[in-house]
Amino acid sequence: MSTHEAPTREHVVAMVAKILKVEAAKINGTDRLREDLGMDSLASLELLSCISDELDVDIELDEAMELVTVDDACAFVNRVYREQRQGASGSSS
Amino acid sequence: MPRVAPPEPAVTGLARSRELGRGLAAAHATAAEAEALPLVLGESNRLVREHADAAEIDREGRLPEALRTRVAEAGLFGLTVPEAHGGAGFSLKSACAVVAEIARVERSTAIMIGLHSGLGTRPLVELGDEALKARLLPEIASGACIAAFAATEAQAGSDLTGIRTTGSVEGDELRIDGEKVYVTNGGFAGCYSVLARTPGLGGARAHSLLLVPRDTPGVSVGPEEDKLGIRGSSTVTVYFDGARVPRQNVLGEAGRGIDQAHAALAWGRTLMAAGCVGTARAALDLTLAHVTTRQQFGKPIGDFSASRAHVARMASRHYAAETLVRWVGHALAEGEPIDELSLLAKVLASEASFEICDRAIQLHGALGFIEPTGVARLLRDCRITRIFEGANDVLLVRGGTAVLSRRPSLSRASLATEVDPDLEREAKAWDALHARLTDARLSVAKEHGVGVVRHQLVLQAVARANLCLVTALATLLRASSAAGASERELGRHASEDLLLEAERHLDDLARAVRDEARVHAVSEHLYAPLRRPAAAEPESPK
Repeated sequence: MSTHEAPTREHVVAMVAKILKVEAAKINGTDRLREDLGMDSLASLELLSCISDELDVDIELDEAMELVTVDDACAFVNRVYREQRQGASGSSS
Repeated sequence: MPRVAPPEPAVTGLARSRELGRGLAAAHATAAEAEALPLVLGESNRLVREHADAAEIDREGRLPEALRTRVAEAGLFGLTVPEAHGGAGFSLKSACAVVAEIARVERSTAIMIGLHSGLGTRPLVELGDEALKARLLPEIASGACIAAFAATEAQAGSDLTGIRTTGSVEGDELRIDGEKVYVTNGGFAGCYSVLARTPGLGGARAHSLLLVPRDTPGVSVGPEEDKLGIRGSSTVTVYFDGARVPRQNVLGEAGRGIDQAHAALAWGRTLMAAGCVGTARAALDLTLAHVTTRQQFGKPIGDFSASRAHVARMASRHYAAETLVRWVGHALAEGEPIDELSLLAKVLASEASFEICDRAIQLHGALGFIEPTGVARLLRDCRITRIFEGANDVLLVRGGTAVLSRRPSLSRASLATEVDPDLEREAKAWDALHARLTDARLSVAKEHGVGVVRHQLVLQAVARANLCLVTALATLLRASSAAGASERELGRHASEDLLLEAERHLDDLARAVRDEARVHAVSEHLYAPLRRPAAAEPESPK
């Protein structure tokens, strides 16, 4: 996706599906990354690292460890993206 | 087994430091164990010396059934099983002392008991349905049912999330299909704690731990593996072909299998590390006997400084490993988390034992290289410990991630005020290095963010520096509580070594990204010819 578009839920779910090698349709927003999707701490960080690269946003490690569900990850990524884009446009204006 | 946060290697006050120092000086966890443990240690040592011929076990590649019977009669299979279910109910700390004592004599026996007492049994003890526990634990305690843990698969070792064995819900049962490799105790086990994907219990990739009795139809066991070391321990592939167990056999909350496996591994790694402490002690004992009697150039070889340096390093590394293993047991008894501590103890003890056995061979000279002396077997026996229950390379990546995933306390700890004045110089060095690690953590987190997960050499350097500082903290506190001057000197030497290594790892950290680029370039040159498509290969000469 373009780095100028805000990440949609579908984008994040697609990245989760790619990392886990499962169909995106089988992933629900309420799925817990650990219990339902079998991701351990390294896999969760790998996911967020991919998202960080894909969307060109900075994600701090300790924030990343707080995420529980797919919906949490979507909301978190969206918030970080908007904050960092707003910060960037604010500083350039 | 709740998931718990990892500990910070911080100093938390004089009273707690002294209490921890006393805890690290003792092999037991409770007053009751203080009385019972010496008896159990003596009996275990006697039993294994009388009934386990280490050289024969190594040669034959199996533990004699008569030995298993003796171990069962002595109650050693019930070491960590709760008293209510017929066991001794020993704490992890005291169980580690017993496993170390057995490993001093014969490592495969120690592996069998340690695996059974930790990974094999803990999931059932901690998570099992009460009726299941009431039925199985007495058999496990008596040795009628030896326990095993089945997680690793051919395509999924350090990355357990990649397992393919499934537990499919069919009515009130789970149907298990798949195969598990390298199952320790698997050849003679009566039950297995199996990690399986259970998509019917949770989300698309949910995992659960399932208790599967050996006599379940559809369970079969492959031949014993022919191994480099611990040749008497049983290592087999276990096959599950439509094996059905009742849903009652799901251990704990369905879907939490990965976390539950990691919690069981914390016990397993600690008991395995304890075995390393025992093997290291055996190598040190053999070496001391040798260097004080073997004469060269007119005097015992142990009198030469070059030999003394080996011996001092061996003894101090053994002290460090024993202390860290005790810290895991002490922490658990205090209700503290052991995830990260157990990982550190496993890495340190496995590396220390291999190094100690290697130095033992060096000091034995050619005698150490030939099998009858017994030192070569010790080296072979401990080689696997850097690989199983989490390869150290991967554990260090995980350990580094854990350290960087929490914000360090910015209040500067001062160990110098917590230790005996005699050890103040080393404690001040610890303070300085701890501050340097804290700064490095902040710097790495700021520079890489979550992307640090892709920089394994950075993560490993952080983990190793942290490991050295955590262990040095432990050895300094233990040495501070020591009554004798000789132990204090040993503790000082162990701490100095660890502090020097911490400094080196912090230097490694500063150039880790550059090192990564260099090793990437070198390895790519080596891999490139192997990655060429078949069509690009040169034609055969005509």
